[in-house]
Amino acid sequence: MTTTSFWEEKGSLANAFWTNGIVPDCPVYDMHGHMGAHNAIYFKRCEPADVVAHLKRCGVKHLVFSHHHVLFGNMRNEKVVDICRAFPEHLRMYVGINPHYPDRIREDLARFEQWRPWAVGLKFLCDYYQVPVTAPELAYALDFANERGIPILNHTWGGSKYDGGPLMLEVAQKYPNVKFFMGHSIYRDTEYSRRVVTETAGNVWLELTAIPGDYGYIERLVKDVGSERILFGTDMPWFDEFQGIGGVLSAEITDDDKRNILYRNVERLLGKEW
Amino acid sequence: MKGLTFFDAGCVIGDTMQGPGPDARKLLQEMDRAGVEKALVVHAGVATMPQLSNEMIANEVATAPDRLVGAWCLLPQQCPEIPPPDQLFDIMRSKGIAALTLNPTEHRYVACRLTLGHFMDAAAERKVPVLLDCFDNLWPELYAFVAEFPKNTFIFRSRWGKWGIDRQIRPLLENYVGFHFALSGYWVPEGIRDLVELYGADRLLYASGFPVFNHGNQMLQLKHSGLEPEDIAKIAGGNMERILKEAE
Ligand SMILES: [Zn+2]
Repeated sequence: MTTTSFWEEKGSLANAFWTNGIVPDCPVYDMHGHMGAHNAIYFKRCEPADVVAHLKRCGVKHLVFSHHHVLFGNMRNEKVVDICRAFPEHLRMYVGINPHYPDRIREDLARFEQWRPWAVGLKFLCDYYQVPVTAPELAYALDFANERGIPILNHTWGGSKYDGGPLMLEVAQKYPNVKFFMGHSIYRDTEYSRRVVTETAGNVWLELTAIPGDYGYIERLVKDVGSERILFGTDMPWFDEFQGIGGVLSAEITDDDKRNILYRNVERLLGKEW
Repeated sequence: MKGLTFFDAGCVIGDTMQGPGPDARKLLQEMDRAGVEKALVVHAGVATMPQLSNEMIANEVATAPDRLVGAWCLLPQQCPEIPPPDQLFDIMRSKGIAALTLNPTEHRYVACRLTLGHFMDAAAERKVPVLLDCFDNLWPELYAFVAEFPKNTFIFRSRWGKWGIDRQIRPLLENYVGFHFALSGYWVPEGIRDLVELYGADRLLYASGFPVFNHGNQMLQLKHSGLEPEDIAKIAGGNMERILKEAE
């Protein structure tokens, strides 16, 4: 084999990551993470100190996460604020919103402003709660985020009757001030991953969790909506940061596109210090 | 790639009834782009046309015999659709076929000693690897099959999974020295290093999972896994080379 691989191309972003692992002029923001044990999988590294150690060795500047035990259990968001306080350099949080607990939603959102800068936005997981994102149970949180221009990371999945493409388009049009991060980019519904960006008022970003590594997928998203609308995420502790970064670097897109995805778009949204 | 040789232990080429798939030329183009030297390839049509796909994969690897080796699909020994073991392995060698595969679900039989014993014993004797990706998500069947043939060389690869399967895979790595885990879709944070610490570096194989996955993502994961360079080299390609050499 005589050809030079993209990893070995001198001066490229891929070569910098391949050689050094951490690339100081290309920070990484992971906009979709979790924390804590989960029923479906063995995690060796899911507690805060271990997660942060992984972020450090991979050069990830911030991980924004929602705690598994908030989403799937009985833990309250205020405990997650404490976790962020313990790791102020790396951890930020989404306030988990469970539509089956309306009182908690009101209590937690009443404290949202005092939870900044740890709290960056809200997290919706409609597929798992089996409550459509357009349902009245979520209107209070959507109104709250819309009034303040707060991001909501939504779990989204192609074909879902709770957070699939048509519903996400509807809700993103109805709440134009909410910054919608479409977690998993409405996976496998490439029509709607395009339409939620092109048919809304500039308030939608596609988030990549579970996609880096899929052959040709990032290329398709960049072609459809442009790299300025794509955010990096890994579901950490589900997926290795270097695997995800490697998936972005492997895509046949420009180095500018890769930088947009790994950090520039986030810095345009939230600034360099947050 | 300079200094590190990658041998892709799991990728798929060829057309299926659902539509065209990449051929050897396209695969080699992707391998060149990422810096992957060699690959063990399975035909995408194994499920619906095992006999024809055996012929077709041989034709594909013949286009690049120095870089590609193929796998042939087994069928039950009582129905003479596959040459008997005393002929099979010579024919395989002459056609660049270095591994066996199977798909009992689609081929409607029970994979066990009764149906495949002659083939499996002959493969064990010759150390020819048997691919087990047909058992992805069929964990009881996988466990039973491996238990029935503890002397064989196996390569298991998850075809679709991205979620870590440590609960399913670790008991097999712990108990069967011939069981190898090809890593496509194993995206567990620092999980590769954890598996090496538990079971050594000889049992893990870099695999792209192409065309579902691209070649590059796991290369970076492995490069920065925190393992020693010699262990990285084994997983990247050394182990696969060793397995094929032992089979010779
Ligand atoms: Zn998630």
